[in-house]
Amino acid sequence: MRIYTASSEETMRARKLLADWAGEGFLTKGQYQRLEQETVSELRTTNIFLRLILFLFTLISVGAAAALFFRVFLAGPSEQVTGIFLLIFAAVCYVAAEVAVSQAHLYRYGIEESLAVCSVGFLYAGMQAALFSGRPYSPKLDGVHFLVPAAGGVFSLWIWRRFGLWYAFLAAMVFALFLPSYWTSSHSAQHVIVALLYVIGVICVTALRSHHHFDYIGDEYSLVEAFLWLGIYLAINLQLSSLDLRAQWWGIGTTAASEFARSFYWTTWVLIWCLPPVVLARGVRQKDRFVIAAGAIVAILTFVSNKPYLGWPRHTWDPMLLGILLTGVTLFIRRWLARGPGGIRRGFTAARLSGKDKQWMNAGATVLGLVTPQSITPSPQARSADFRFGGGASGGGGAGGDF
Amino acid sequence: MPARDTLSQENEDFMTILARLEHWKEQGAISPEQHGYLVSLCRGEPFSLFLELNVLLYAGVLAFVAGLGWTVTTWSQQLGDVLVVAILSTILASSFWYCFSRAPAWSFTETPAPTAVFDYVLYLGSLVWCVELAYLENRFHVLSGRWDFYLLATAAFFFLLAYRFDNRFVLSLAFSSLAGWFGLTISHWPSYQDVAYRQYALLYCLLVGLGGVLLQRRAVKPHFFGTYLNIVANVLFWALLSGVFNREGYGVWFLALLLACGASLAWGLTRRQFAFIAYSAVYGYVGVSSILIRAISDEILILGYFVITAVAMLVALVGIARRFGRPA
Repeated sequence: MRIYTASSEETMRARKLLADWAGEGFLTKGQYQRLEQETVSELRTTNIFLRLILFLFTLISVGAAAALFFRVFLAGPSEQVTGIFLLIFAAVCYVAAEVAVSQAHLYRYGIEESLAVCSVGFLYAGMQAALFSGRPYSPKLDGVHFLVPAAGGVFSLWIWRRFGLWYAFLAAMVFALFLPSYWTSSHSAQHVIVALLYVIGVICVTALRSHHHFDYIGDEYSLVEAFLWLGIYLAINLQLSSLDLRAQWWGIGTTAASEFARSFYWTTWVLIWCLPPVVLARGVRQKDRFVIAAGAIVAILTFVSNKPYLGWPRHTWDPMLLGILLTGVTLFIRRWLARGPGGIRRGFTAARLSGKDKQWMNAGATVLGLVTPQSITPSPQARSADFRFGGGASGGGGAGGDF
Repeated sequence: MPARDTLSQENEDFMTILARLEHWKEQGAISPEQHGYLVSLCRGEPFSLFLELNVLLYAGVLAFVAGLGWTVTTWSQQLGDVLVVAILSTILASSFWYCFSRAPAWSFTETPAPTAVFDYVLYLGSLVWCVELAYLENRFHVLSGRWDFYLLATAAFFFLLAYRFDNRFVLSLAFSSLAGWFGLTISHWPSYQDVAYRQYALLYCLLVGLGGVLLQRRAVKPHFFGTYLNIVANVLFWALLSGVFNREGYGVWFLALLLACGASLAWGLTRRQFAFIAYSAVYGYVGVSSILIRAISDEILILGYFVITAVAMLVALVGIARRFGRPA
């Protein structure tokens, strides 16, 4: 099923680990050079920046080529004809992606990824145009139209399995979101179906990854499992999965509570409190970075959405309390770990063991330092004519702006 | 541990990193101690929570300051100036006292933070400084609304803090404040236009770029130089592109854009900093495309242009990737 051999993918993983260890000083330069020679792969890869721009320019060229084809060869085609040609483009893009890998040995190179993504996009648009020709998109409760997102989801899953592109799995999850609206008009049932689909996904992934410890497939399943846990949480958290969040949270529109049956609403409230410990426990037991991160995110989201769930008023100091809680928990964990022998407790440490962590920290500090001052400064809420306070639109850590 | 205990069920040649480490140990390429340590790293024994704990600390500080600013904004009249200023000053003084009392002696080179929370306490202090300054000026009009002075002083203060404590968060705040000062200064002009903004952006690039080069040459925290370059490159390219998008008088800006792209490409290739290759490719493509297709109204020509140029870019980039672009 996989287009790359397991051996070559594991070799690519080994090369990355070697570079990381050499950067941290765990290997000498001589050792690194020798071992690097032993991990030569036939696959051709590149760094993240070139990968991104190669992806971008492939997307531009494919999109422009498709548009040019329609403009030159098909003057005013019917939607069905357009759909058929889009399906042909999907096939062409997919074959091109396969050829790019099998002939040019591209691996996370941007080009083959972009072609694979284009094939999913063309397939979805082509099926939509062919099946819904002449009609605007609207989910209907019948047995046919769900095939469009279903095909998109299945094909995305195939791309994920075939090429190992994690974002293709994410696309499959998004396609799955649309499916229930074709089967039932009940919002509660739609939430349940989406959550069930993701639960099935978690069960499958859990079963599959039990055979893969400490290899590249284990890493891949780890990310996918984290996405699925996040998906389950978002499906059952009725305060977050509503489309009109702003209206709900500030009491402008109808609240989620009134949309759903009382028992269903409160069941989901119980579930959003139960899920974070389950996910965190699973992540900690598996020592799985992505699942731990998913657990932390859903725990924070539970704190953030609890008040809207209960219908309690929000206070301006709520973010402060959340900040104190996060900081307190972090400091407690850090100190608890540090007090263990060698700074290790139950197999966990707060010390940095990988050079990648430092790179992420440095890049994150620069980008977030530039972005966050504007985002955390609240908009003015003037109480009287002579009192205006807020702004920060001109940078300066939120100190400037409109006064 | 068996040598190949983790052979894939899919492929007999599949050798995991654990099997490779065992093989390298048997070959004598790595010592038994190195083997033991690297195997434990691969198995997550111990498992490092360094990144997760830092992200949580950052999120905690950010949420706290956001709530603080929101509360002060909403409730300042009920709380009273004295209480608000006292609370903000206490947090500010405590943060800076913590940092100054625990900071190691200043060094020209990269200095690790003395404690795990040090960087975040400094960041908290810097953000609270912004909130307090905004509050004081708003309530007492000390500088009669001359926010540009506050921003300039804040930028200078943050630069000092960033260099004193070797902190990238605060360095970014300093850049942000300095950019704000340039923006606010120009807004005092009676009829400000894009041209003036562009000139100020270029002046900002010149100032930051020269400062960065000077400090790097004097080996003052040279690891910050990358941050300087990335900020200068992005501001410069945006400024030049805005000139290229003009309907008239865009020739000089276009020429400047081409020069900047060439310089960025050369820098990226010689220093193996591939972000600069990406900047030159993307900004350059947008600028050149805007010039070339602005006079064309034929859809077919425009689409043909994108097909041909995107493919040409792909060929060029693949050439660069094959020659230089190994994974970073």
